[in-house]
Amino acid sequence: MRREIRTHALAFMAIGALLAAACGSSGTGGTPTTGDTIILGAPLGLTGSLVKESQLTQQGYDLWVDWINAQGGINVNGVKHPVKIKYYDDTSDANQSAILMQKLITDDKAQFLLGPYGSAATATDARIAEQNKIPMVEANGAAQSIFNQGYKYTFGVLSPANKYLQGVIDMAATLTPKPTRIALLSSNDNFSVEVADAITTYAPTKGMQVVLYKKYPSGAKNLVAEVQAARDANPDMVLNSGHLQEAIAINKASKDAKLNAKIFAYSVGPSTPDFIKALGKDADYVYDGSQWTPQVKYTPSFYLSVRDYVAAYNKKYPGQGDPDYHVAESTAACLALQKAIENAKSLDAQKVRDALSKLDVTTFFGEIKFDNRGINIYKPMVVEQIQDGVHHTVFPKEVADVQPKYPTPAWDAR
Amino acid sequence: MGHLAQLLVLGVLTGAIYAAVGSGFGLVWGVLNIVNLAHGALVITGAYVTWLLFSSYHLDPLLTLPADAVVLFVLGYVLQRVLINRIIRAPLLFTFMLTFGINLIVINILLFLFKSDFRSVTPSYAGAGFELGGLAVPWLRVADLGVALLLAGILGLVLNRSRLGAAIQAVGADRDAAQLVGIDLRHTYAMTFALGAACAGVAGGLIATIQAITPTAGEPYTLQAFVVVILGGLGRVSATVVGGLLFGIIEVFGQSLPFLSSGYADAIAFGVLVLVLLTRPQGLLGRLA
Repeated sequence: MRREIRTHALAFMAIGALLAAACGSSGTGGTPTTGDTIILGAPLGLTGSLVKESQLTQQGYDLWVDWINAQGGINVNGVKHPVKIKYYDDTSDANQSAILMQKLITDDKAQFLLGPYGSAATATDARIAEQNKIPMVEANGAAQSIFNQGYKYTFGVLSPANKYLQGVIDMAATLTPKPTRIALLSSNDNFSVEVADAITTYAPTKGMQVVLYKKYPSGAKNLVAEVQAARDANPDMVLNSGHLQEAIAINKASKDAKLNAKIFAYSVGPSTPDFIKALGKDADYVYDGSQWTPQVKYTPSFYLSVRDYVAAYNKKYPGQGDPDYHVAESTAACLALQKAIENAKSLDAQKVRDALSKLDVTTFFGEIKFDNRGINIYKPMVVEQIQDGVHHTVFPKEVADVQPKYPTPAWDAR
Repeated sequence: MGHLAQLLVLGVLTGAIYAAVGSGFGLVWGVLNIVNLAHGALVITGAYVTWLLFSSYHLDPLLTLPADAVVLFVLGYVLQRVLINRIIRAPLLFTFMLTFGINLIVINILLFLFKSDFRSVTPSYAGAGFELGGLAVPWLRVADLGVALLLAGILGLVLNRSRLGAAIQAVGADRDAAQLVGIDLRHTYAMTFALGAACAGVAGGLIATIQAITPTAGEPYTLQAFVVVILGGLGRVSATVVGGLLFGIIEVFGQSLPFLSSGYADAIAFGVLVLVLLTRPQGLLGRLA
């Protein structure tokens, strides 16, 4: 009942603001005035096992906040509202993330929510957003299970999990000699299993077969036995659906075991600078499915171009290399929210939610448009390959900057 | 057959790391009766010392191991002398709380110093190996096995052949009687913890060569050390080595079961642990108290 009154009051105020703005524009020529600061909330794993990815997420959010506040804020019907993001450290714990999300709503009066890092925390936080009827735009939870709950207030700007390695399969189908035998090693968390399961159904449609599908516990640091099993299966492609640490472990163990495949592709990890730093030359030839790369060619309708975005990142975070896709998708979540608020011409949660569901814009990150579940199935994934210690985009051809180096040479021949 | 032999080799090489991690943990537990929840954090501190020397001075990671031992020895001595000695006779829960607190503090200091970036020690010969009857054997892992055995050997010698070792064993057997015959308890405790920490440091140096490290990467090793020591039996270095190797072999075979997620490897390993506890509560090679 109280919520209803609040909604009505908000709607009333919004109408009032509309009228005031209308009068203002006829009277003064429409110079935007400054409105109240919009509070956004985001719990992130600033300590714990997901700290690296969470920091990249935070960088993406902060890049946008700097930019929008330099413009004076989000333009709501002619009134510019500055933005502040309130962060809490969820210690990389999904349950803690949900508790903090509620705290952000209740105590900090966050008007809109930005997602945490990872599918696990996004899943618990989505429930909070739903219960409080406050839109959450997220960039780091790709598991479709989050979006199959019938939630109405959670929107993901990134391509869903099932797409992560499909690009690698599509690319492989164009290569000669065509690789056909796939060894698939997957972490057992909800996101990774979705990525891997999608491969088991997708690969046969491209004339490839999964000869080994092995799951291991999420966060495993010792994967020698799994790699040995892959070696015994004599695969053309080694695919890993997991996380940075596991990708590094598999690459190391593959060299130890002299597992020579034509393609090594890992869902998460190779796109980060840490992967190359940790493995040095051994990182070369590795592929990954990426949400975005600094080489993609999109023509944005607002915000920065791809090149300007990379430049802005390098200026704010010098010495950290080019932004990886975690940073870019996080910025993209902010852009989606900004555009939805502008389109809604209101700060009312319900109206912004409706605007999000109708959103269709092209940004430096690609097209942002949500299906009726709230996930962005319209933006393609790209395939990256590390060549001579540098990330390159190799697929699809329209956005690629170099050809894939194929096949990967044997470990002894490098 | 060749497949099983390969798994056995991998299991032994994996187990060597567990043996190294377990040796210091077992010493502290056996003598001080402290289940050191900060052990994994000390292990990773050693890994960072190796990483620092490797990345800054291009020292071979195997040559950094003595430095790991010295740094951790000093850190361990100070920790015990200043902090842990105060609660050495307190109930078990207090030692849990204190060492857990130390664990958090060490991890956060590492986070502050080194950030959460993944660090890796990759010498030029990493991944090089030899073929032995069709089995792939990486050199670095073999070196790690050698170091783990050497470490256990040195620790065994110190405990069984030196005055310090005699004092440590006496304190472990009966601290009041040891004090009566003139052993400086506080110093002996501190030396014991320092030795345990030094072993942790060396184990950390080995870990840095085989996996990427972050400040939180040590936490699973505390649990593994616990299991290895129980499996082998408390009170003997050789028992810890056997426990470590056995755990490594069980884990690798468990991960290799066809059609099963290797998540079951942990279930199998802990199943064996429960079986050992039921049939030989003192561990496979442990002495009855």
